[in-house]
Amino acid sequence: MDIGIGLWCLQSTATSPRSFGQAYRELIEDAQLAETNGIHSLWLSEHHGYYDGYCPALMPAAGAALAATQTIQIGTGVLLLPLHEPQRVANAANLLNEQAPNRFHLGLGMGYRPIEFEIKQQNISQRLQLMNAGLDALKSQTQIPTWVGISSEKAAERAGRRGLGLFISGAFSKEVVNNLIQAHRNAWEKSDPAEDSPPPVGLLRNLWIVDSEAERRQALDWVRSSYLVYAGLGWGADNTGVDFVSQIEASMDEVEKSATVGSAEQIAEELDGYDVDLVVCRIGYDQPPRSALTDVIERIGRELIPLVDSRGGKQ
Amino acid sequence: MRLLLDLRNTKNASQREQLAREADEYGIWGVVVTGPQGAECVEASAIATATRHVVVVVDVDGQGVHPTTLAEEIAVLDQIAERRTMVIFRGPSNSQTTLTTLLRGLPFEGFILSPPPAQASIEVHSVEEIPQVDLPEASAEIAAMIDQYRDSPTAFLIISSNKSIKELARHLIGRAASTDFPQMVADLADQIDPINQ
Repeated sequence: MDIGIGLWCLQSTATSPRSFGQAYRELIEDAQLAETNGIHSLWLSEHHGYYDGYCPALMPAAGAALAATQTIQIGTGVLLLPLHEPQRVANAANLLNEQAPNRFHLGLGMGYRPIEFEIKQQNISQRLQLMNAGLDALKSQTQIPTWVGISSEKAAERAGRRGLGLFISGAFSKEVVNNLIQAHRNAWEKSDPAEDSPPPVGLLRNLWIVDSEAERRQALDWVRSSYLVYAGLGWGADNTGVDFVSQIEASMDEVEKSATVGSAEQIAEELDGYDVDLVVCRIGYDQPPRSALTDVIERIGRELIPLVDSRGGKQ
Repeated sequence: MRLLLDLRNTKNASQREQLAREADEYGIWGVVVTGPQGAECVEASAIATATRHVVVVVDVDGQGVHPTTLAEEIAVLDQIAERRTMVIFRGPSNSQTTLTTLLRGLPFEGFILSPPPAQASIEVHSVEEIPQVDLPEASAEIAAMIDQYRDSPTAFLIISSNKSIKELARHLIGRAASTDFPQMVADLADQIDPINQ
């Protein structure tokens, strides 16, 4: 099981304002620190037209992170394909792969915010068709490892039928995660695949390594506060079936419940229960001080990864 | 007049990066880079990450792409490049108008860039606005060509050459910037500190 970190969104939020220049400098520093500590990958995330500068252009950001490092993998977790021209995405992905061979991963999602589709003059009701057309186009134009961000069994099945990897959202219970993986696997097997092994599965987890109950409470508060970003993004998004705002406390409780916060040993044991190829430790919150973020990056590399490796999970 | 070193036809990625580093070191004002459509800012981002001072002029193909997407890519590039971005645009004039507006930090039909460009305004030029030349071999001919463009006048000149970056910098930056460049100083410098040693 590979261990990565995410999600780098490069924001300057109302809760933690900062200069964008600092955000992009820290992306480079964090990628270098993660590389030094043996972390498999760093994942970026995309939105458009949001007040806090949430990164709308992942390929140039990935290009910077790859150019500043030698071995770490960089992924998009996820790029919102219906909002882009697929040929341009393929060209950018292929150039990244040429500049940094076998170090770029293309995670793709559909998007859900009406305003983003309005900005790009796309019809949000057509997003599934746009996604499928985009995946078809990419399949013929790039060989980059491709992961599809999903949150439903139907979406997992679609990815499985196409032989594409899964990138599973962070706040699901173990039962839901396992159901999604099974749906993906079953669809892949029924597709009469040419490959011997199923496409990979990546799992995003809200995660933090702590040594005491006080640190645990602090980390859980950071995880809870991260939901504020989503509440803001979801403001006015009435097509998702999720009430982002009015039940904010209940939603934060759900996010907290699904978080993996504990000692490195406890986290390794928890992750051992997932049949996945990659875990992306979601540590890119906007609340923790810089020193706490760099500390947890080091601890993931120094403490968690050796424990996960020693358990001999999925390779 | 500011000189922009053309790296668009340098096929090898590591050679492009090396030339950009040398341009950065020796004070060439800008380097011009591009890539396949959609990958222009990926290439520019790699060059920006490898350099500290040189302006990264990105040549973008705006055909068939939403101008807000281009603007977002360039704004992110400008954050990465820490205010060192300039744009050469190829494409429909209405798209260039939208792009220029957004890269000035202004709203266009209710949309405003977030993040904004790092600099107050990113210059957007059509490809016809900036002359480009392949420099000849003979020093006297190069000098005459630079003088001609400087006095034309033009703010920028894109140059291609097989000469070393240090030689270009020594002989051309001052000439491009000034009407009284003392060529004898550059020639004496060649004797004191030969370029090819």
